Amino acid sequence: MAEKIKLLIVDDEVKFLESIAQRLEMRGFDVTKATNGERALDEARKSKFDVALLDLRMPGMNGVEVLGVLKKEHKYIEAIILTGHGSIDSAVECTKLGAFDYLPKPYELEKLLEVLQKAYEARLRKKFALDEVRMAKIQELAAGSSPLTILREMSKLDDGEK
Amino acid sequence: MSKPRSSDHQRSALFHVHDESFYRDLKRRNVVRLSLTYLLPIILLTVFFYVQYGTLESEGESLHLKSIAENQSKTLDLYLSERLVNLDNLIDDPEFEHPPSSLNMRNHLEKLVASSPAFVDLGYFDSSGIQTSYWGPFPSLEKRNYSAEQWYLDLKKSSVGYIITDIYLGFRQQPHFTIAVCRTVDGNHIVLRATLDPTKMYEYISSLEGAGEVNTMIVNKAGYYQVVTPHLGSPLQSSSIVPPLEPRLGVESASVAGVKLTYAYSWLRGADWALIVQFAAARNKSILSGVRLQVLGISALAVVLILFVIVGRAEKLVDLQRESDRTKAQLEHAAKLASVGELAAGIAHEINNPLAVISETAGLMKDLLNPEFGCTPQPGDLEKYLDEIHDSVFRCRDITRKLLGFVRKTDVSLKSLDINRLIDSVLGGFLTREMAVYNIEIVRRYSSNLPHIVSDSNQLQQVVLNMLNNAADAMEERAGKITITTSISGRFLSIAISDSGKGIKPEDIDKIFLPFFTTKEVGKGTGLGLSVSYGIIKNLGGQIEVQSKVGEGTTFVINLPIAGTETVV
Repeated sequence: MAEKIKLLIVDDEVKFLESIAQRLEMRGFDVTKATNGERALDEARKSKFDVALLDLRMPGMNGVEVLGVLKKEHKYIEAIILTGHGSIDSAVECTKLGAFDYLPKPYELEKLLEVLQKAYEARLRKKFALDEVRMAKIQELAAGSSPLTILREMSKLDDGEK
Repeated sequence: MSKPRSSDHQRSALFHVHDESFYRDLKRRNVVRLSLTYLLPIILLTVFFYVQYGTLESEGESLHLKSIAENQSKTLDLYLSERLVNLDNLIDDPEFEHPPSSLNMRNHLEKLVASSPAFVDLGYFDSSGIQTSYWGPFPSLEKRNYSAEQWYLDLKKSSVGYIITDIYLGFRQQPHFTIAVCRTVDGNHIVLRATLDPTKMYEYISSLEGAGEVNTMIVNKAGYYQVVTPHLGSPLQSSSIVPPLEPRLGVESASVAGVKLTYAYSWLRGADWALIVQFAAARNKSILSGVRLQVLGISALAVVLILFVIVGRAEKLVDLQRESDRTKAQLEHAAKLASVGELAAGIAHEINNPLAVISETAGLMKDLLNPEFGCTPQPGDLEKYLDEIHDSVFRCRDITRKLLGFVRKTDVSLKSLDINRLIDSVLGGFLTREMAVYNIEIVRRYSSNLPHIVSDSNQLQQVVLNMLNNAADAMEERAGKITITTSISGRFLSIAISDSGKGIKPEDIDKIFLPFFTTKEVGKGTGLGLSVSYGIIKNLGGQIEVQSKVGEGTTFVINLPIAGTETVV
């Protein structure tokens, strides 16, 4: 893999967190761990992630709250919910909030990898879509606008990428 | 807060359906109680009526009898004075010749008989007492000397100038009585007398109003019949009834030949006779007992009917009770299952998490051993992972074991319990973690010198868990605090569970112990928890109280009796 997929894993179950992180690292992911919601949000503000794996029930901020803030602050991040609390209600709520997928614990690693791959592709697609918009914008602006306007529009688009 | 639940069987019925003998006993007690309530007044009323009616009736009878006696005696007085007036008119007639001739005597008698058929004969006596003139059925009496006769002597002594005698036989040896008047004509003391037939007088009395319902007799002062209903006796026989002289009119009871009877009497004014009336025996009984018999009959019918209704009603009550007991038992079981349902979501999380740990750790070990990844795992690392798997497996086992503890159909089994430890056992493990998930702080304020109490640990655990779940739900996913306080208050051991949640609205507080009452969202609560908790604590001899303030929180206090328990050394 030319570029490592950047993962943020949030779970209060430390043993689980350690194991999954190690296994995913062995499979070439760039993994960052957080044991609660606040720490996860801090990490996300520090560096850009492609996909986040979120536990739902945690002390402090729960997974749904973390998901809400993440999706608000980072337009293109994809979130996968991993939870032992397999109720339909929470799945629906998470999907509404923009979660990419919902995996009940315990799961097959192959399944997780598959979902991760898809999430990353979705993330890439969004990136490409953004790039296309950017290109179109540049072409459009280049036709008549001043260079200053072009730069301002570009920075607006970049804001979303943060 | 206390919900009214009265009788013992209801309390215990919350937990099992009774055997048939309990219901038979219940039915018997119901029948007895209802019978006392409904039948006793009727029976008392009937007896009261029976006695009262008897008294009233006999009083009425007495009055009626008395008025008959009074009326008849007045009529008889009038009758006798009329007869006297007949004689007066005759002798005072200026055309009356002294002494009268036989023909005249005959005419005079015919006139008398025309005014009353009781007149038998007529006699005229000179001053020496010789009957000088006579007309009647006993011509042999003419010329007889009456100067020694009782009535003649009495008349001479009399100041009123007339006499009405008792009945006597006289020379003719037939019962009759005499009405005589005396006058002084030309210095001679003469007497006119008529004799009367008592049987005619009896016929007259019998023809009076009201005579049909009574037996009438006339008795003189000496107690001899003058006139009498034929089947009771005959004139001049000694009477079985002798009325008192005073008062002149009255009602008396007498015993004749062992039969108690009531009679009314009235002394006549014109003669020394008392008129006695008594009800004809047949009437005396039949009317009296007839009405009473009717009342008794109706009462008996009412009693039987009511008894019938009572037995039916008791049967119905017992059926209802049986049904209710059965429903309560089912309800309790349903509540237990429902609380398990409520737990299930949390339990799924708690089991799935260690399972995920196991799965990931096992997977990691596999990866480490996989040459593809090129790792060289240290035995120490592998052992650490295996320990993690082992721990997680036992975490799962603990949870399933607890779950089973709730589902098991538990009968009341009393054990000596340390309440602090019991609460800890509920809090311990997943519940605490569950609370931590919702940022709920649990504060334990245990009294260190609590006595052990004898109670049922499974059921108490269920109640405490229920209270804690409610307290957590009251926080509505905000951070909060649950304070658990144990203490002794009087004869009770108190467990107070306070939350800092939203509180219970005043209009809801009376309803919270009712089955199926819930303020939780649809699908979140069954409304059974508090209802069942209430039943459990009642059954264990305790009570649950609740205080709540909207916006500040709620405190549930479980009071359990200490009596009959052992103290911690």
